[in-house]
Amino acid sequence: MTIRGLALRYGLRLGVLATALGLWQGLSAVGVIRADEFPSMTQTASALWDQARTATLWTAIGQTLEGWAIGLAIGAAAALVVGTLIALNAFAYHSVIGVIEFFKAIPVIAILPIGLVLWGATLTMKFALVAFAVFWPLAIQVCYGVRSVDPVVRDTASVLRLRGPRKFALVIMPSAAPFIATGLRVAVAVALIVDIIAELIGGGSGVGVRILIAENAGPSAYPVMYAYIVVAGVLGVLLAGAFTVAERYVLHWHESQRSAAGDKQIYPERTEVTLAASLSPGRWPGAHPGVAVRRPARRVVGVVGWLEVAVFPAA
Amino acid sequence: MTTPGMTPPGVTEGTPAPVVSLLKVRKVYRGAAGSRTALQDITFDVARGEFVCVVGPSGAGKTTLLRCLAGLMPPTSGEALFEGTPLRSVPEGIGVVFQDYGRSLFPWLTVARNVDLPLRVRGMGRASRAARVAEVLASVGLADAGRQYPWQLSGGMQQRVAIARALAYRPDLLLMDEPFASVDAQTRFELEDLILRVRESFGVTVVFVTHDIDESVYLADRVVVLSRSPGVVTEIVDITLKRPRDQIATKGEEAFARYREHLLGLVMAR
Amino acid sequence: MWWVWSAGSRSLYFPPLESIVKALWTQWVTGPARAELASSLEHLVAGYAIASALGIGIGMALWSLRYAREATSPYLYFLYVLPAPVLVPAAMTLFGIGFSMKVVLIAFAAVWPTLLNTLDGMRGVDAVKLDTSKVLGLPRWRNALQVVLPAAGPQIVAGLRNSLQVAIILMVVSEWEASTDGIGYYIVSAQQSFDYVGMWSGIIVLAIIGIVANLLFVVAEDRVLHWHYGARAVEGGAR
Repeated sequence: MTIRGLALRYGLRLGVLATALGLWQGLSAVGVIRADEFPSMTQTASALWDQARTATLWTAIGQTLEGWAIGLAIGAAAALVVGTLIALNAFAYHSVIGVIEFFKAIPVIAILPIGLVLWGATLTMKFALVAFAVFWPLAIQVCYGVRSVDPVVRDTASVLRLRGPRKFALVIMPSAAPFIATGLRVAVAVALIVDIIAELIGGGSGVGVRILIAENAGPSAYPVMYAYIVVAGVLGVLLAGAFTVAERYVLHWHESQRSAAGDKQIYPERTEVTLAASLSPGRWPGAHPGVAVRRPARRVVGVVGWLEVAVFPAA
Repeated sequence: MTTPGMTPPGVTEGTPAPVVSLLKVRKVYRGAAGSRTALQDITFDVARGEFVCVVGPSGAGKTTLLRCLAGLMPPTSGEALFEGTPLRSVPEGIGVVFQDYGRSLFPWLTVARNVDLPLRVRGMGRASRAARVAEVLASVGLADAGRQYPWQLSGGMQQRVAIARALAYRPDLLLMDEPFASVDAQTRFELEDLILRVRESFGVTVVFVTHDIDESVYLADRVVVLSRSPGVVTEIVDITLKRPRDQIATKGEEAFARYREHLLGLVMAR
Repeated sequence: MWWVWSAGSRSLYFPPLESIVKALWTQWVTGPARAELASSLEHLVAGYAIASALGIGIGMALWSLRYAREATSPYLYFLYVLPAPVLVPAAMTLFGIGFSMKVVLIAFAAVWPTLLNTLDGMRGVDAVKLDTSKVLGLPRWRNALQVVLPAAGPQIVAGLRNSLQVAIILMVVSEWEASTDGIGYYIVSAQQSFDYVGMWSGIIVLAIIGIVANLLFVVAEDRVLHWHYGARAVEGGAR
């Protein structure tokens, strides 16, 4: 991977975006996309800009994030506690696991009407729903993680005479951490989706509600509606990305983060050097030592690299 | 004991063409960390039917050499020839046994299907495939294991499956990358004898990479000693021990001990 | 427990379990709501089938076309993370409120988990397997279909499972507003006409669908991936 290769890659991506947007605008202008069904690209863009300029966009995002954060916190905390408890106690495990698996299989959408009935279109309804959706799968994942501590690690702990809370904190938690991290990553995304569904269908406040309002206001408000749809997607990407970055820092020591390290010994020619890794030496663990780049350029490229990893972990 | 340079590579009067010919092969890895010369100047031949072992300290580029020989990796400079033609990609007529059988065998296929796969690729008919699979599995001592999955077998048996699969399509050259390193010592002796028997019956040329000096002396006609990075051929040692080799008798000979001492000295020196 | 605890309930919102179960029987098993159930399931199956086929197909295509993959991967990821229910209003304006709207929506939402997992799974195949495949002389197409695809199997199946959950959610959400049939429609109209018993019965039906789908998936997965679980079990035991 060279600088040239990277420029090509980003050139391609921007090209795809530009083509897609251009096509959208073109089809609207020509009339293939009818104005009363679907707004043009420029209309949507300007609606987005308008919303961003006034407070509405940011308040809506804030309201959505409120429900997301509170629900996620409650659900995750409960899942960590319950998951650990049933993992450590065989009796608790066997009595409770069936119930948890059962509730996990219920589509959260089924619970929405109950939530509406109990709390109406409020913040409480939102975060309660989010917490409910997040809890069951995460509890199972935490339980699985705690139970999966490598027996060799467990034996080592015994030999080193680690017991009780110390053993838990120093040995069990770190071993279970990767599983918990995977579960949390999914939970972060699920929480946002449930949050927005709750707003969209239940009402209240936030990005989902803005979409609902725009939809009900008729074709003239479609640009606003699509603008908020884009916002919802971007929000999802940013939240998931932020989590991935945090995960890398916290779990830098774990194999999954060092992943292909072993293979690089045997197959060095397969090493893929991303922008992030090649131009930000030591910026985060696991990075390759840097290629020589002039100082100011290195700064900028380092930031871009960081963004790339943050925003597009799948890329 | 010959040293490189005394025997010119390539065809000499009256001798059949070598199966493998390496001439000044050099392999440099260019990574973000700078470049690393794994192989500096490798020159040797392997004659038809020979059993050549390649030894050297860890990180000496033995695996790199094998991958060049397999056509999996082109050298940075120099020539690697297989049966007279330069290696650009994996040629027909080569079999490879990797060290990590667990990762090489396909877990979604039974043993028989694993062995059968290269035959299907070569367009063999169903009846002849079945016959060939049975034959080659029998020759590695796994006649009844066809229906099982590789992960149901022990490590030694899995490596036998890998050997069977490599030999199924009767390659001219068999490359083995530390194949018995992941297997316990007892099984290792069995597998060593197995590979010698198999070489006799299939008449295949073998290049065998190992870090185990004893193993290399026991198996080989010649041992190529590689140095630490940048790898060069330190020496090529002819092994004139009698065949057929025997785990107890051969390893008890005085000549065995002398070869062993000499090679250990070379490998441990730098 | 629920039965006993709610038996004497006078609450409008939480009717006794007994009456809910009765409604389940009279409405869903033998009664008029069967049509809604059938309709919803039709949409689900059609949408999920399309999503699975496209997901794996496009995933494979992108795996082999490097430039297409590099150029589009951020956008694929964006669409994967986009909360799909957000698109319901958009879908309604474009496709009306009938069969095609629902199927298109379900398919569009459910394709991404499968697609991304297929792509990721194929790219992450063990290098040793790829080398083995080369050495055995497998041509490109055999390599893709007989080595990389099975090796990526477990991850592809995980993606399919994720897609199923998404499909079920979208199935309901697409019927929530301005629909004329389906479970979602049933629940909403029950709620709006204060028929809370009916509403609860609908919720339970949904829960049952989720559970049954999960069970079916587990059974299918066991058969297709038996080799994977077998190999894992051996690994675990060896430790």
